[in-house]
Amino acid sequence: MLPEPRFAFAVWRRNAKVFSKLWKGALLPTFLDPLFYLIALGFGLGTYIASLDGVPYRDFLAPGLIASAALWAASFETTYNVYMRMNEDRLYDAVLATPVEVQDLAAGDIIWGATRAMVYGSVFAIVVAAFGLISSPWAILIPPFVFIGGLCFAVIGYAFTSLVGRIDFYSYYFTLGVTPMFLFSGIFFPFTDLPDWVEVVAWFSPLYHLVEITRGLATGPEALQIALHACWLVVVSLILFPIPVRALRRRLLA
Amino acid sequence: MSQASASPEAVRAVDLRKSYGDRVAVDGIDFTVPTGSCFGFLGPNGAGKTTTMRMIYGLSSPGGGELEVLGGNIVTERRQVKARIGVVAQETNLDGELTLSEGLAQQASYFGIDRSDAKAKAQELLEFALLADRADEKPRQLSGGMKRRLLIARSLVADPDLIVLDEPTTGLDPQARLAVWDSLERLKQRGVTLVITTHYMDEAERLCDRLVIMDEGRIVADGRPSELIAETVGAEVLELRPLPECDEEGLIDSLSDGSITGIERGPATILIFSGDAEAVLSRHDHDRFPLESALARRATLEDVFLKLTGRSLRE
Repeated sequence: MLPEPRFAFAVWRRNAKVFSKLWKGALLPTFLDPLFYLIALGFGLGTYIASLDGVPYRDFLAPGLIASAALWAASFETTYNVYMRMNEDRLYDAVLATPVEVQDLAAGDIIWGATRAMVYGSVFAIVVAAFGLISSPWAILIPPFVFIGGLCFAVIGYAFTSLVGRIDFYSYYFTLGVTPMFLFSGIFFPFTDLPDWVEVVAWFSPLYHLVEITRGLATGPEALQIALHACWLVVVSLILFPIPVRALRRRLLA
Repeated sequence: MSQASASPEAVRAVDLRKSYGDRVAVDGIDFTVPTGSCFGFLGPNGAGKTTTMRMIYGLSSPGGGELEVLGGNIVTERRQVKARIGVVAQETNLDGELTLSEGLAQQASYFGIDRSDAKAKAQELLEFALLADRADEKPRQLSGGMKRRLLIARSLVADPDLIVLDEPTTGLDPQARLAVWDSLERLKQRGVTLVITTHYMDEAERLCDRLVIMDEGRIVADGRPSELIAETVGAEVLELRPLPECDEEGLIDSLSDGSITGIERGPATILIFSGDAEAVLSRHDHDRFPLESALARRATLEDVFLKLTGRSLRE
């Protein structure tokens, strides 16, 4: 069940190689998306909101959008892109006929999903910094933490893809999974004045934990809180990893 | 290219089985592929050939029986065994995002070959595939025959002891088939064991040292191509096309004697198998049994195949 690093790396490197050819075209849309939110809500709506907990609204919003950029990037990569490689291009069959095993393939593709999330999150972090919305030097640590959050998003998307063989159902993943997570994970409004159960529910959202981390790093960190949120993301990723591996073994090695 | 494996048998299967739900794909087959030989699986669509290939190269786990590949167990020693097998699957599963040389180097990395060796290997294999001048193109720019040659080259990336090819020439034009055969013959000369499936009888006769014919998940015949022909249908065939007014029963009766080993009746032709087709034809009375045409020819694997698996269409 444990992946072997050199084979997982071979899978990762294939994806990185392909991305290195396409990045100019691929980066733009996923990067414009959070930018539009930042402009519309941060600079538009934010003008009419005095401040949240003493922080200007756009300063509150921007770090959370770094986390959501990672969510969208990892989710697209591990659903549609993995689906294409697995089912349309039949690359999985070709790779599994080499010494690479299902767990290596899963690990390589998931770590690639996290890498892609880190790239998108980091690029958007630079944009946020350019708008002057970052007040702490600790923000330099955002990329590795976005990678950790990306791992969790990627495992979940990958598990979905390994269990659902029809691309027609993928929009449900976004409509019922990714979009609600995006809206209700503390990016757009804080939970401080809401009933306690709201925060309890949010605790189950991986995005909530990454938002707490990126916001913490952008405004000056509370190290312990950040460590706890990062632990949550790592532990959940590891717990979920066997699900797609088992599902793909059943599906691809029948 | 690598040394042949130490074991005298590249693949050994005993009572090998596989079912998908209620559908039995492989229904207890036994075969042995000698090291260094070219071994063919013939059979109509749905006979269980591809399932057998997938079990040999580890993409499908046996449902029952024993399967030993290159002296190892393909279920419990997957990585070690797969490291020594090259696979050319039925569908063209090339990596469309990578150029030919990148794709071959990438394939090498799936075998744990380091980057500088992988690049040299990619160059060598492009030359083997006669595609050295297309190194920087993408697979979609290639013709069907070139893609097949590239797939065969890709299967060689780790110097395999065994190469499994599932219908390597299906859909290719005659020149492209010849080029693929040429590649496979070069590999045979290097001592690599080849296992191929095909439904082209001329391909099997030309390439295979031994073959089995499968039908409905079972092996219905096995042997050397020439033996199979001699044993199943005899050396020669008389192919008759009777005119509509010809009494076919009477025709067959008039020609029959002890030398005839079999008769196959199709909608428009009658095949009469024997050791000497000319001798049978010499007994024919043209006035009583008028024919549109009569052809005496050498028996082929196609005759064996049709005799054993019948003429009805398999879907």
